[in-house]
Amino acid sequence: MTTPTTTMTPSTAGGVPARVRPAHGRPRSGKPLLPRVIVYTLLLCYAVVSLFPFAWMVSGSLKSDQDMRDPGAFVPHHPTLEILTHTWSQLDFLSYFLNSLKVTGLTVLGVLVLYSLAAYAFGVLRFPGRTVLYRFFVALLFVPSVTVLLPIVLLENEAGLLGTHLGLILPLINGTAPLSILLLTTAMAGVPRELREAATMDGAGELRTFLQVYLPSIRPALVTVAMLTAIPTWNEYLLTRVSLTEPTAFTLPIALQNLTTSGVPQYNVLMAGALIVVLPVIILFTCLQRYFVNGLIGAVKG
Amino acid sequence: MASLSVSKTPPPASAAPRATPAGSTGSTRRGPRRRVREAVTAYAFLTPAVLLFLALGLYTLGYGLALSGATWNGFSPEWTWVGLDNYLDLLYRSPVYAPIVRSAALHTLVVMIAVPLLTVAISFPLAVLLNNAARLRTMMRTVFFLPYVTSGIAVYLAWQYVLRPDGGVNALLRALGLGTLAQPQGFLGNPATALPTVIVVMVWTAVPVGMLLYLTGLQSLDPAMLEAASLDGAGWWRTNMHIAWPLLRPITAAVILLNLREALQGFQTFLVMTGPEGAPGGKTNVLGLQAYHLAFLEQMQPTLGLASALGWLLFLIAILLAALNLRALRSTT
Repeated sequence: MTTPTTTMTPSTAGGVPARVRPAHGRPRSGKPLLPRVIVYTLLLCYAVVSLFPFAWMVSGSLKSDQDMRDPGAFVPHHPTLEILTHTWSQLDFLSYFLNSLKVTGLTVLGVLVLYSLAAYAFGVLRFPGRTVLYRFFVALLFVPSVTVLLPIVLLENEAGLLGTHLGLILPLINGTAPLSILLLTTAMAGVPRELREAATMDGAGELRTFLQVYLPSIRPALVTVAMLTAIPTWNEYLLTRVSLTEPTAFTLPIALQNLTTSGVPQYNVLMAGALIVVLPVIILFTCLQRYFVNGLIGAVKG
Repeated sequence: MASLSVSKTPPPASAAPRATPAGSTGSTRRGPRRRVREAVTAYAFLTPAVLLFLALGLYTLGYGLALSGATWNGFSPEWTWVGLDNYLDLLYRSPVYAPIVRSAALHTLVVMIAVPLLTVAISFPLAVLLNNAARLRTMMRTVFFLPYVTSGIAVYLAWQYVLRPDGGVNALLRALGLGTLAQPQGFLGNPATALPTVIVVMVWTAVPVGMLLYLTGLQSLDPAMLEAASLDGAGWWRTNMHIAWPLLRPITAAVILLNLREALQGFQTFLVMTGPEGAPGGKTNVLGLQAYHLAFLEQMQPTLGLASALGWLLFLIAILLAALNLRALRSTT
């Protein structure tokens, strides 16, 4: 082993000196740290793990009732689209789908309006009590949902909201407050101050500055918050299950749940229903993932 | 260096507004009238969010706290006040509920240890691998993200389907010649494998976000530093374990916090995959599920106070964990 020529102590275990020594034994610098083959093999393995249940979901939904007698077979013997179309039409999935769309859409809209307004106040304006109020909202992140679930149901029961879609949307909006305010405030505070000064000089009021200067500047954060709201809302099950009783008001997860409770679960029907539930989210995510991931990264880097 | 605003709760906009020295030039000087107007605007902007919170958040929190000191079945007109009895019953006094709570607490503890550790142990190497793969990175990221995006009843039902006695996992194990590992009762039907199985599914759901956070962290590290280490003769293992890993400690803290919170409070996976009783035989009952059960599934039994009390106990643990995590984060950065 060659000793370093400087006064540096010989490298001890664990403490790798972060300086370039004259290269020996390693001819070129651009050499990958780990052979490509291993990297891609391991990544592929995890991709299989990631996709495993989805693959079986697709396979199950394509199985005919006859195929279900051999449930261990991945490839259906008699693949058919009949179960999918049957589940969609016979079980009225279209109306459940529209209910889900309505609840999710209105929740996302509410979150974006309410919390971008609040975030503008927290991130841009100065007022007494700002820090206290902000910390309070963020601290709510730690309130377990099960703690507030029961009082919400009891309150809505008294107010006559229980079982309505509005009765779902309002608590769902409120539930996203901590994270939405956190992400949107960080984004608002990151907009260059000069833009606001310039808008004020032009005679723009606070509302116009908010609408025309700040909202366009924080578009990635808005997309991130919209996705972070839309995904759990689309899949929401706990509050929905205890509040919706009228079948016409059911959202997709509850309709799916109902398929399991009616007698012996028929897994080809169940998987067809499951596929109908996850496909829109997958499509939405694939289309918006660039904004979503970048927004999340921006929010985390702070 | 990536620092995580998620867990630090910094006062917002601390840098931005103060960067403009008030009164540096005549035009930006802030008179008292303007300041009042700004504050009024701020309150106006905050009003909708605060109103919704007052109606749903504050009221429900207060109501829940009051209910935790009472006995009520949800239908009778009167509450019976019992003070702290509900808490004491849950913790040790009731011969019916205390043992259930104790076993649920034990399961919760196992989940709280296993899920964060496994998530870190999988998502960090995965992020390192992904960072080394220039090609296919975007596509792989999409694929790896699907478990998070679709987490909900649909995917848990799919897991239930593949974990059945004649399901895909057993079929795969037999096909690979690992038939001895197959579970004839199904992975969720065997009391010994039910809890570990749900934990695996929870980790599967949690890995995407952990991986993304680590990937972000890795990409923010100075590439010259890693390059230097590799020129220095540090192998792949040492570069990542002795250089990248310590530098990414704040990310590890955040991943652990997120998953501790989920492990403590989340019970949807359990409810969908193993039913409201935590089948088989309560082996997968956790505290969140138990609170849900007491609140909504006890029919006419007067257990609503107990449910509230259990919810508040969970809240106390969550606050404690958050405080501990914040302290750990401060001491490492």
